[in-house]
Amino acid sequence: MSKDSANPDVQKHAADDIHPAAKPFLFLVDEKFKRNFLWLPLVGIVITTILGVMHPLKHPAPWDIIPGSWAVFGFLAYSFIVLMARPLFKLLSRDESYYGEGGLPDPYVSAESHAETNHAKPSKAGDRP
Amino acid sequence: MIDLMNINPGLWIILAGLVCALFPKTDATHYIRKFFLIAAPVFAGWLIFQMHSVAPEYIRGVLTFGGIELTTLRIDGLSLVWGYLFCLAGLINGIYGLHEKCRITDSSALIYTGAAVAGVLAGDMITLFIFWELTAISSVFLVWKGGEGAYAAGLRYLAIHVFSGVLLLAGAVMVAQSRGGDFTFDFIGLNTPGGWLMMIAMGIKCGFPLLHNWMQDAYPKASITGTVILASFTTKFAIYALARGFEGVDILIWIGVVMTCFPVFFAVVENDLRRVLAYSLNNQLGFMVAGIGIGGALAMNGVVGQVFVHVIFKGLLFMSIGAVMYRTGTAKASELGGLFRSMPFTAVLCIIGAGSIAAFPLLAAFVTKAMILAAALEEHLWVPFAMMLFASAGVMEHSGIKVPHFTFFAHDSGRRVKEAPWNMLVAMSLAGILCIVLAWPWGGYELLYSMMPFPMEEAYKPYTWDHVVFQLQLLFAAIFAFTLLKRYGVYPAERRAEIIDSDWVYRRMGLNVALWSSAMWDRLNMQVNRLRKRTFGHVGQKLYQMFSPAGAMSEAAPSGLPAVIVAGTLLVTLIVIYVLGT
Repeated sequence: MSKDSANPDVQKHAADDIHPAAKPFLFLVDEKFKRNFLWLPLVGIVITTILGVMHPLKHPAPWDIIPGSWAVFGFLAYSFIVLMARPLFKLLSRDESYYGEGGLPDPYVSAESHAETNHAKPSKAGDRP
Repeated sequence: MIDLMNINPGLWIILAGLVCALFPKTDATHYIRKFFLIAAPVFAGWLIFQMHSVAPEYIRGVLTFGGIELTTLRIDGLSLVWGYLFCLAGLINGIYGLHEKCRITDSSALIYTGAAVAGVLAGDMITLFIFWELTAISSVFLVWKGGEGAYAAGLRYLAIHVFSGVLLLAGAVMVAQSRGGDFTFDFIGLNTPGGWLMMIAMGIKCGFPLLHNWMQDAYPKASITGTVILASFTTKFAIYALARGFEGVDILIWIGVVMTCFPVFFAVVENDLRRVLAYSLNNQLGFMVAGIGIGGALAMNGVVGQVFVHVIFKGLLFMSIGAVMYRTGTAKASELGGLFRSMPFTAVLCIIGAGSIAAFPLLAAFVTKAMILAAALEEHLWVPFAMMLFASAGVMEHSGIKVPHFTFFAHDSGRRVKEAPWNMLVAMSLAGILCIVLAWPWGGYELLYSMMPFPMEEAYKPYTWDHVVFQLQLLFAAIFAFTLLKRYGVYPAERRAEIIDSDWVYRRMGLNVALWSSAMWDRLNMQVNRLRKRTFGHVGQKLYQMFSPAGAMSEAAPSGLPAVIVAGTLLVTLIVIYVLGT
């Protein structure tokens, strides 16, 4: 059972408020689907690596002799960027009122007077899982 | 009789903006303003088409002013693309803002669009400067419409852009002087100090590293419609100027690749999605700057194509987050999530924009970004190529995954809102369709090719096995890394915070130094005043003691004393004259 469907409030929303066009796509937030989604890009990597050996680049870079070089590069680059997030956040983050200019617009200090703020208050204002 | 064919088409859009500004603010005039907002860019686009069909290089509006020959209208292969693009962007932005009843937004949007169109169609550096400054002055109102929190950011935005214009003018004068008074805007290069000044001016406007902060400062604070409009013109106008004046200047390769990489690290920690997109915009501009630096037909056509599709897909991303903000009141990732349940059409359009910027096959940047990368490979620029490849993985992270994931999927925020207004959906759909059409393998991308100004010996073929396969390798690997890191809890949570960038130097340190200097100046003034008062009081007292009726000089003195003083003075004078005489 998904985390969302375990929450009675969200169940009520699911019944009443979900856009009709979104209903066929609710499987996207199903826990089982999210868990198994991992395999989709992995299969993609395997297939494109095999195809890459069959159809090498016309102008290869020196490192393109490694099969699946762009996949290795993409994985390492992406992981490096994400892994840098925690130390960077520690180094660069300050309180939202740090500059004393009111910060960026949000539901509580929104400058858009005409915006329709028909929303529920988030259950927890700070971090989220 | 006014000859339409002699007037820069951007001026008609500016005129429409001025008329809108003068209209009284009523419900009826709201519809007239909206009509102008749609009709003016269409009319200007039609005029550009008519002019270009007369001659491939169409030069009009030549006039002499103060001994300087100005060419106020030049339509050639390069300016044509930007002219069409800005008119198209003006139209899409106009549709997107149809719901908004704001005279200031409508009129400044029109003047800003018109200034950008007129600027890229300018044939000389003075006309370029005038419209360069007008884009800054007209667009700052869009920032200020973001509310009180945007006031200071708007002031900084205005100051930085006006300064950029001043540098541009100073550089233009120096370049023209070195050319014997010729102000024609063509290749400039870095052979003169004026060339450097002009490049820095353009660098400010297109976000060179350390000159970029105005973008991430002002764009997320502007109004919802304002941000979409702002993201379309200023930076691309600067890219046009760089492409015209600095093609093949090597330093731009390195500036460009640094631009592609550094925003990636800020975007990953930033919580406000409009600021994430502003960093992403900076990153995309890096590809264009690097392409200009590489030069040559392949890279330059890649830049032209990238600019064209970038305005569309970046606009689409800003529009989709704007629509979310319109409905929920926030663009902060920590407050959003699960919105595909309420806004499925916006979600699909956002994913198209995300796929386009990440260069998925069949979507916009797949064709154009590859041309810049291919040009780097052809020139054996391995390090810049590797840096751009790294940045491509970064693009996938912040714009390809983070923006749609944390807005429409991820954790359900519990917000149940209406779908975006119809006009926003129409504007986003137009952009989404263009993202697909301009990368369509069967006749689609050839449309883009037909506008490319630099003749290529052999047209670049984007849909080859090797290109499709290796690009998919990169993208699949990035998605795999995301799912893996997310699954094992390594992907960081989105948290509310102000992420400081190098603008800290003037927003915090500079401000504190100014405040400290002001306090020190006040103290110094106080001390100087006290010292002055004490000194003057002391001297006055001594003078009084000497010369007042009761002072020392008023006392009776021996009559021989003046004679002694005069004799002494004569003696000293005699000695001085004697010494000087020898």
